[in-house]
Amino acid sequence: MQNPGEGTHSGGSLAVSCQKVSFSYPGSTRPALSDVSFELQTGEYVGVVGPNGGGKSTLVRLLNGLLKPDSGRVLISGHDPATEPFEVRKHLGVLFQNPENGLVAPFVEDDVAFGLENLGVPREEMLGRVAGAIRAVGLAGYERREPDTLSGGEKQRVALAGLLAVEPGILVLDEPTSMLDATGRREVLEHLRALRSKKTVLHVTHHLEELTSADRILVLNGGELTADKTPERLLSDAELLRENRLMLPVLPRLALELGLPPAKLRTPEELAAALLAAAESGTRAR
Amino acid sequence: MKLELRNVSHVYAPGTPFEVEALRGVSLVVEQGEVLGIVGGTGSGKSTLVQHMNLLLTPTSGDVLVDGVDARTLQKSDLRHRVGLVFQFPEAALFAPTVEEDVAFAPRQLGLGEGEVRERVRESLRAVGAGELAARSPFALSGGEKRRAAIAGVLAMKPEVLILDEPTAGLDPATREELLALIVGLRQTGISVVLVSHDLDEVAEVADRVCALQGGRVSAIGTAAEVFYTDPDQAPATVQVASLLRESKPSIGTPVRFEETLRALRSLQGDQGD
Repeated sequence: MQNPGEGTHSGGSLAVSCQKVSFSYPGSTRPALSDVSFELQTGEYVGVVGPNGGGKSTLVRLLNGLLKPDSGRVLISGHDPATEPFEVRKHLGVLFQNPENGLVAPFVEDDVAFGLENLGVPREEMLGRVAGAIRAVGLAGYERREPDTLSGGEKQRVALAGLLAVEPGILVLDEPTSMLDATGRREVLEHLRALRSKKTVLHVTHHLEELTSADRILVLNGGELTADKTPERLLSDAELLRENRLMLPVLPRLALELGLPPAKLRTPEELAAALLAAAESGTRAR
Repeated sequence: MKLELRNVSHVYAPGTPFEVEALRGVSLVVEQGEVLGIVGGTGSGKSTLVQHMNLLLTPTSGDVLVDGVDARTLQKSDLRHRVGLVFQFPEAALFAPTVEEDVAFAPRQLGLGEGEVRERVRESLRAVGAGELAARSPFALSGGEKRRAAIAGVLAMKPEVLILDEPTAGLDPATREELLALIVGLRQTGISVVLVSHDLDEVAEVADRVCALQGGRVSAIGTAAEVFYTDPDQAPATVQVASLLRESKPSIGTPVRFEETLRALRSLQGDQGD
């Protein structure tokens, strides 16, 4: 069975295209998205950040056809999610924010297999893909657990495994690590990094530190696309961060307050070493 | 209120092939007016633990004591409004046509007069900074607004202990800061807060004491500094940096909160004489 996402991998094609997309929820006076335009090239890894209510989740729902734009156009690998939702869902998979809502089956392995069953994948192949996806998210041994007995973080990983098993060419991840502990977050992020250049990834998060190696970061605020920048430029633009209610994580914030370069000091070890080095040279200077 | 768990164990689906021992001999005290952080990896038993605090789950063995009295002898409804529990993703339970009606639901169940109900709704919405949302439909709110509305619904019962299970998951950093400020504000009014979180950086900011769980057991309990400095690998970023420096610069002490840590690190720079 051919990977359903593969057909789109021809040279330099557009994975996602949004042209002047606007959307308002019924009864709301303020548009949830207004005039948003951007494109994702196949294989790009792009982050989306912005305050709650900024339009991030609305964008996700427009991309997979759960919502239809009031004006403008969305194309996913050339298909319009508003008119061809089933075609689009072969190319684009979404991991939604709250893992509770997505789990449907009696056992973990059935849940992970659910999307594949819907695509009509043969059983033999399905078993292999399901096992691989469960391993990839670090849940080997959980196959026969009931989703109800899992913690929030474990459920989130089950949902991610279900998405990975389908192997769509485009992954849209809405807060994929919001319920994970430090170890789980590291594992999932490593896995996502391993997908780079093989998949097109749109990664919605509140944690800027997860996006330091992204190709670009989109900022959505008040329904408008207020920035589309590389991580380095965004992290060093204090005013832009403030305007969009974004906050630097603890380490770069400490570095900045201590007059050290935040972008270069990504781990506690690096920050501690820089402080010691500064103290040493300070002593010598005296 | 002083809430105590004594040697509490919990087994899910006992006697079946799916038996899981989620808590093993957990003992801890939530003192009046403190913020107790509950930390631990995914699946360590954090949510199971807090659901014992208002007997939403009953211990397979062990006891829950409210001011020294066995909680099982108290009326359940009484216990549940004295110990208010805000679940993970509580916005999933919003149901009324307006935020105001949603928040009013629980106090109305307490049989309070309409005037008192209105007053409590106003107060709780103000406490979570959501006064302007009263007339809106809960379904048209953003994730952060819904979260605040759901917390207001529990605050309206005027609990003596407020339990928040992962209250900031999915919230933007600015909204998260506001919620943490709300927790600190509640403590000042004498309410005890139990904060379950996988985000050690936020626990570091607000918790007076910390209880760390591992595989359903308490692996450490004490002040935030005591717990985090015993295992700096499982500590907030502030503690990780300070631990690395303590060996050669013991004078920086054991800071935990951001501002505290910043002061300690600055004093290190100050030693250089600049």
